[in-house]
Amino acid sequence: MNSILHKDYTVVRDDYARAGKVSSDIKATLSTIGIPPSVLRNIAVASYESEINMIIHAWGGDITMDVFDNGTITLVFKDPGPGIPDLEKAMTPGWSTASDEARNMGFGAGMGLPNIKRVSDTFDIETSEKGTTITLGFTVA
Amino acid sequence: MEKKTVVSYTLEHCVRCMRCVQMCPTSALSMIDDKVIINDGKCLNCGRCIRACHSKGLLASGSSIDAIRDYDYTVCLVPSAMISSCRSLDEAENLFFAVKELGFDEVVDITDVEGRVMKETRFLSEHEEGQTIISSMCPVINRLIEERYPMLIDNIAPLNYPSEIAAKQIRKKYQDKGKLGIFYCCECEAKLPLAKYPYNNMEYEVDHALAIVDIFPMIRENLDKGRIPVTFCREGLQSCNPTMMIQTQSDLIADGYDKINDILDMTEFGLLDSFKILHLFPCFNGCIGGHLLWGNSYLTKNNIDALTYKWRKAPADLIFEDMYTNDFNKTDDDPRSFMEKMTFFQKVNEQLEKLPGYDCSACGMQTCRIMAEEIVKGTRKVDDCHIIHSMREKGK
Repeated sequence: MNSILHKDYTVVRDDYARAGKVSSDIKATLSTIGIPPSVLRNIAVASYESEINMIIHAWGGDITMDVFDNGTITLVFKDPGPGIPDLEKAMTPGWSTASDEARNMGFGAGMGLPNIKRVSDTFDIETSEKGTTITLGFTVA
Repeated sequence: MEKKTVVSYTLEHCVRCMRCVQMCPTSALSMIDDKVIINDGKCLNCGRCIRACHSKGLLASGSSIDAIRDYDYTVCLVPSAMISSCRSLDEAENLFFAVKELGFDEVVDITDVEGRVMKETRFLSEHEEGQTIISSMCPVINRLIEERYPMLIDNIAPLNYPSEIAAKQIRKKYQDKGKLGIFYCCECEAKLPLAKYPYNNMEYEVDHALAIVDIFPMIRENLDKGRIPVTFCREGLQSCNPTMMIQTQSDLIADGYDKINDILDMTEFGLLDSFKILHLFPCFNGCIGGHLLWGNSYLTKNNIDALTYKWRKAPADLIFEDMYTNDFNKTDDDPRSFMEKMTFFQKVNEQLEKLPGYDCSACGMQTCRIMAEEIVKGTRKVDDCHIIHSMREKGK
């Protein structure tokens, strides 16, 4: 399987003003291609949650999107730290470490990671003090 | 089914300002050989292009009132947006008399049906667990979601338009009146296609859609000649106006085109899941800001209290079959395979690289991307781009 569309993005820590811009671009690009709405909705929700996580919890990071010729889409969210100390807790619905500042802006309801996993076809997470990498897979066709 | 747009192009010579082309929310307009071409399948009937044109070149009209003569018994439906233009109950009674004088046998206000649709929307929002319901009263919102936010189609309340429900009731009531003609006064362009005529949408129960601005000069002549007693449903009158609507913690009410686009974007990301109902109005001040009305919506929005201070009507009792519809369950009808879509997308991107990317519309297409799509389809050439063409001329 070969990647037929590749896109790179960077997000910056605490850049709330631009929060969601990458997800908007991913959504707009896939919508232009003509990805079915049911798949697109899952990708939109997962990419938005993951992007926001990088902005409020991590020190920014890189996002890549690949569309493969076999009809799958892979999104990779890679941040440089600080890592998730207790992954099991982070995967529990309702558990959150978001700051009051973030909560006041409507982020940090503690549904982030469980939600991302729920809407993704494949979900893979690796975390250490050196950073977290989340790889999400979606099947389009 | 693809419906014909209500907008028609009327100019002999266009100044090619491209305002209409650039204003279109779904890129339905393009200019080919100095003529504006409207893609019926994409058009929302929102009327933004009509208002963008400085030369009155685009037009949406309703049926002629003369159609009354084709029927044995005629009924005129008056929506809340038209009633809201009255400052008092006295003025409303004068209005109903003047409308009847146009030649109708009966004039019916549909505020009780609108009120019931509002209540039913709330009922749905309380019983659909975890699902945000989008009010389906505005045809532009429904079409906008179908075209630009297909992920949200399932969130649209599966309810008929109030005019349609009211027409069904009237048809049942007057089965013995011979040839029954139901006319509907429309406050905006988007409601004109909700009738059999003039746009040949034969699936509707309403026979003719009338543009209120067209009949208003005739109504005005009879405004002080008499009155018909009326009572209105408060919930119905509120339904046309975002500032007067009863709002609970779980309602989101917004008006204005840019704002509703923001809201639909956020809804797609799942950010507004805590809201149970979205009432969205593309027009400022909602339906009383409809462009086929004569009143100033900033002045008329407070009239609702005056119209319902004394007598009120309860929302109508309606049966399930009349209220519910599944018109909005549009599935993905793109017959192309994933690889065909991808190949087209990449070919378009290749052409897009060659274009300047100013989205100036000088070529007649709204954006460079749409131009690139046309080049791939073979209807346009790269040299049709005015900027590339003039650079090439300079180079010679």
